[in-house]
Amino acid sequence: MISQTEVLENSAPTFLIRPSSGQLSLGLSESWKSIDLLGVFLRRDIKVRYKQTVLGLGWAVLQPLLSVAALTLVFGRVARVPTGGAPYPLFVLCGLAPWQVFARGITRSSNALVENQYLLTSAYVPRLMLPLAAVLGAFVDFGIEFLLLIALMLGYHIWPTPVAVLTIVPFLLLALAVSVGVGLFLSALNVHYRDVNYAVPFFMQLLFFVTPVAYPGNLIPARLRWISQLNPMASVVEGFRGALLHNQRPAMPGLLYSLLGTLGFVLAALIYFRRVERTFADVI
Amino acid sequence: MSNIAVCADSLGKKYPLKKGHRELRDALVSASLRMFAPTSAIPMAGTAPKREHWALRHASFEIRRGEVVALLGPNGVGKTTLLRILARITEPTEGCAEIRGRVAPLLEVGAGFHAQLTGTENIYVHGAILGMKKAEIRRKFDEIVAFAGAGVKTFLGVPIKRWSRGMCVRLAFAVAAHVDADVLLVDELLDVTDAEFRQQCLQRIAHSAVREGRTVIFVSHDLAYARQLCTRELQFAGGQIVKDSASAAISTREAALR
Repeated sequence: MISQTEVLENSAPTFLIRPSSGQLSLGLSESWKSIDLLGVFLRRDIKVRYKQTVLGLGWAVLQPLLSVAALTLVFGRVARVPTGGAPYPLFVLCGLAPWQVFARGITRSSNALVENQYLLTSAYVPRLMLPLAAVLGAFVDFGIEFLLLIALMLGYHIWPTPVAVLTIVPFLLLALAVSVGVGLFLSALNVHYRDVNYAVPFFMQLLFFVTPVAYPGNLIPARLRWISQLNPMASVVEGFRGALLHNQRPAMPGLLYSLLGTLGFVLAALIYFRRVERTFADVI
Repeated sequence: MSNIAVCADSLGKKYPLKKGHRELRDALVSASLRMFAPTSAIPMAGTAPKREHWALRHASFEIRRGEVVALLGPNGVGKTTLLRILARITEPTEGCAEIRGRVAPLLEVGAGFHAQLTGTENIYVHGAILGMKKAEIRRKFDEIVAFAGAGVKTFLGVPIKRWSRGMCVRLAFAVAAHVDADVLLVDELLDVTDAEFRQQCLQRIAHSAVREGRTVIFVSHDLAYARQLCTRELQFAGGQIVKDSASAAISTREAALR
């Protein structure tokens, strides 16, 4: 591991470069020093995203609207999925918004290092910032979808209470933690195995149907419930919907356990990332 | 207080020659070959091709503050590998090095340059990657653009995918030259720019070396150009430094007198 020690004598940092030994440091203090790079990458990603498009930011609005329309047609009109009294478009957007933050975050962050391989081989940057910026970028899109959701709620004369809006915060944090953990792990894995590039969009599609986004969770037969209990996004989606549409409070010990478990997973992903990071420039 | 800017102790970097990772397909093919082929058909160790390559080995040197060092030698002898190790892009396999001060690398055309972004946007991204704060870039922005030249200034609002390579290098170098760094690492990029710009870079490098004590380590295949600039030459061959000699840099001395 490349270590850095501040030498006070001429106020210039001294960098010691040597082969990494077995010891492992999470290097969080060093990452924190270059935290403004996170903002730089985030802004760059946002600027680049809709370059050379006619609709520009319009895509960020159009995509969720068209998805809601298609899902409403299939699951609302054709399959007539029960929604517990809520209008189907509202029901599905409530699930789609948190789902998309996760799906986009994972898809983009798993690609973040490979996409920037030119950068990885030409300058030293804290590599952690690249997948992190990709995950945070997904939360920017979420902001737009959340505004659409509020507008739709007002359209149906449902007033989102401040308590309901506050209740979704821990669920968003859970989605953030899951995205960061999976994103770090997959982005590093992608450096070695480009199979990740092909596997991620495919598995996201499968996971979309396993997660109760387009249908309520109580439709899942009891003997298969354990699958969605293992899927943290299932509790995020259900929690979101419960809070906004039914003013439900989160099931407290359960959410706390999920958060703790996910933080453990993030830590493991970070350790893996740090372990393989030292060979990124050689392998990518 | 020691005056050493960069110190390397038998740095070495080994790369595997076979693919770093096996695809599933390769693993299956070699497994089935082993199953069906008679043992004699598998090539013996003696005839097997080399499996690893030392891109750089036994590199030891001390570079003082304000020295301008040229890395010379044909392609593939370890010059860029050395720069990459010093820039902390890749880890050495053996040995160690110590660098005092901030390092600004210019190894490719603009680290983090994004083809879709305009020149102005790329100045900010590139500067940030090289460790500049936003306020610092804003303050030096006009200076950077002026250094890059009038041609670059005209196209600042155009995505750099429409720029020529020479123009991109100009902009990349202009940003790197304005980083408040103690050690500047430059790969053979300047070789693609025109004579006028190279002369300008030469002056800038010489000036900052003499006046600010900035250390510069650069690669060039233009021997005449390199000799105008450097105070020291490291000659590379086969991944090793074969000659380490002082040289009388014409313009560095000129800058000192000016």
